[in-house]
Amino acid sequence: MAKLGIMSFAHMHAYSYAAAINELAEAELFAIWDDDAARGKAAADQFKAPFMANRDAFLASGLDGVIICSENVKHRAMVEAAAKAGKWILCEKPLATTIEDAQAMIDVCKKTGVGLGTAFPCRYVAPLMAAKEDLDSGRFGTIYAAACTNNGSFPGGWFADEKLSGGGATMDHTVHVVDLLRWMFGKEVTKVYCENGNLIREGIGTDDVGSLHFEMEGGIKVSHIASWNRSKSFPTWGDVTMEIIAENGVLNVDAFNQKVNVYNDTAMKAEWVPWGDNADLGLVSDFAAACDEKRDPAITGYDGLKAVEVTVAAYKSAKSGEMVSV
Amino acid sequence: MNVALIGCSGMGVHHAGHATKAGFKIVACGDAIKERAVELASQYGADATTDCLSLCKRDDVDVVAVLTPTPFHTEYVVAAAEAGKNIFCEKPFGRTLEQCNTGIAAAEKAGVKLFVGHVVRYFQEFETIKAQIDAGKVGKVGFVRTYRGGICPVGAGNWFRDWDMSGGVTMDTIIHDFDWIRYVFGDPAQVFSQNLREQFDKAIDYAMVTFRMKSGIIVNTIGTWAHPGGFRVKVEVCGDNGMLQFDSSEAPLSVMMRETASGMPGMIVPGSPVGVSPYELEWHDFKNWLDGKGRPRVTPQDGVWAVRMALAALESADTGKPVAFN
Ligand SMILES: NC(=O)c1ccc[n+]([C@@H]2O[C@H](COP(=O)([O-])OP(=O)(O)OC[C@H]3O[C@@H](n4cnc5c(N)ncnc54)[C@H](O)[C@@H]3O)[C@@H](O)[C@H]2O)c1
Repeated sequence: MAKLGIMSFAHMHAYSYAAAINELAEAELFAIWDDDAARGKAAADQFKAPFMANRDAFLASGLDGVIICSENVKHRAMVEAAAKAGKWILCEKPLATTIEDAQAMIDVCKKTGVGLGTAFPCRYVAPLMAAKEDLDSGRFGTIYAAACTNNGSFPGGWFADEKLSGGGATMDHTVHVVDLLRWMFGKEVTKVYCENGNLIREGIGTDDVGSLHFEMEGGIKVSHIASWNRSKSFPTWGDVTMEIIAENGVLNVDAFNQKVNVYNDTAMKAEWVPWGDNADLGLVSDFAAACDEKRDPAITGYDGLKAVEVTVAAYKSAKSGEMVSV
Repeated sequence: MNVALIGCSGMGVHHAGHATKAGFKIVACGDAIKERAVELASQYGADATTDCLSLCKRDDVDVVAVLTPTPFHTEYVVAAAEAGKNIFCEKPFGRTLEQCNTGIAAAEKAGVKLFVGHVVRYFQEFETIKAQIDAGKVGKVGFVRTYRGGICPVGAGNWFRDWDMSGGVTMDTIIHDFDWIRYVFGDPAQVFSQNLREQFDKAIDYAMVTFRMKSGIIVNTIGTWAHPGGFRVKVEVCGDNGMLQFDSSEAPLSVMMRETASGMPGMIVPGSPVGVSPYELEWHDFKNWLDGKGRPRVTPQDGVWAVRMALAALESADTGKPVAFN
């Protein structure tokens, strides 16, 4: 059984990973550390795990691996500390906000001999897995194009503070789909165009909509919307959708469209209640196995880096107004 | 008011019915293929001819409706204008900017009224969307996404599948959205686009277009001629106080016929029945103008603008660079 710790609950996914650890027989939530002690203590209470205020003591407490869910720009320092302590690492996406940071994180893990994974739970979302399997069967023939979205509601807080997040919706909601495209098509993104801005909620400090275009190896063309454009009254948090155009047909995935529509008079807001499989279980289960087997997680730091490269190129393109090479 | 129709297949048949309902009389039908002209003319007690230029000169004709494949609009627009006839021209107004300018100049010189059939401005769902935006239901708009298309159409002599003639899904189909976007959100500042022109010999096209409007709004328009069947339209508008969505696949009426001895049933045809078709509304709007009762919703310049937007999108897709409008 893998003894796992969580470093920082700044990113809300920490809560679902903690719940997943508690649900899985092969993992144990061994300790929690957070640079925001109040937040960390509250999480420790919620998930019935010890809170440790001192990072070095936490890393020396007998953990096998850590899941890092801090603000984006703090990933590197935490990865470096955990790697030097010999801990296996699963890092929230985006792996980093710069290529330099992502590369440094990969390097330190290699040097210290620990496994590094990037948290792309979409690879464990059943409809996306089924889509990949169908594409892998070869019956679609050559893939020509894809039109994708990763829309979301405004997360607020540090997400819209560039100093902590490294960027807005384009930073937050590009990497999932880039990873899915790489994973499903087995091809890299070679060129990026991005038009973005702060267009939905004025004055938040970062972009909240990005319309991106990619060229991938083999000439595959992609449109992608990375946004925080969902209104507060929208019945769910957002979406991941892909319409894939291939030689022999078209494949559509609306990854989280496994829902029941609920209309509750107290809430006075329609709600989509999901019933699909919990993808976090697959992600955390693989990480626990990686810790036990002393191997890299299935979705590696390199995968995280490749997605970061695209995001960095997107911001470069948005600034220059040109399509840029990755 | 008497109408001469030029082009008697898809749109010819369609418009003959709608113009009649709007109070026009079909007196002559012209088509390059004699049987097409004869067949339609016989239904309306009209004359049939293959000499479409002479048809424009008939004394009993008040309006010439140009419903031929796109590259053959201008010659009839010019002939009709020179004969002093008012003109109803299907979209796209022309295949090139030169054609558009020639057509406009001829109409202006002759002082005739020219209407371009951007029918989406008359679709009840699109008018409702506009009214909701105008009523402030989504607040200040920041992002728009539209989607339109289905199977690659064929047309007389396969003209839709000839790139030089139809211009693919961009010039033929999402030009509808381009016009509507400009109608509701103002002029575009620049466009970036990708398409599948290289697959067009397989009757596949797919366009992914991003406009930056002068207002700053980002618009993403997807057009498909890549589907094996069907036709779907979607719209999403996101603002600072809400959002709205429309999806034609959520149809109020759909039928499925059981297989019979005479063979396999046709495909599922969803429908959205309305008392007065948007195509009939176009003719009413045009008639009001002819009757001296106000200007129609679509001006000739709107028709030119839509072609400009489509040409710019095609240019961007060819060059891999954004194209600015000035
Ligand atoms: N507004 C809409 O919803 C809509 C829908 C479809 C097509 N359109 C537009 O309408 C126009 C016609 O499209 P369609 O679907 O009816 O095509 P179609 O192929 O069904 O019909 C075109 C007709 O024009 C005839 N024709 C061809 N060349 C001619 C020429 N030089 N002179 C006279 N007749 C000629 C053909 O024989 C044919 O009968 C196109 O510009 C198209 O883009 C608009």
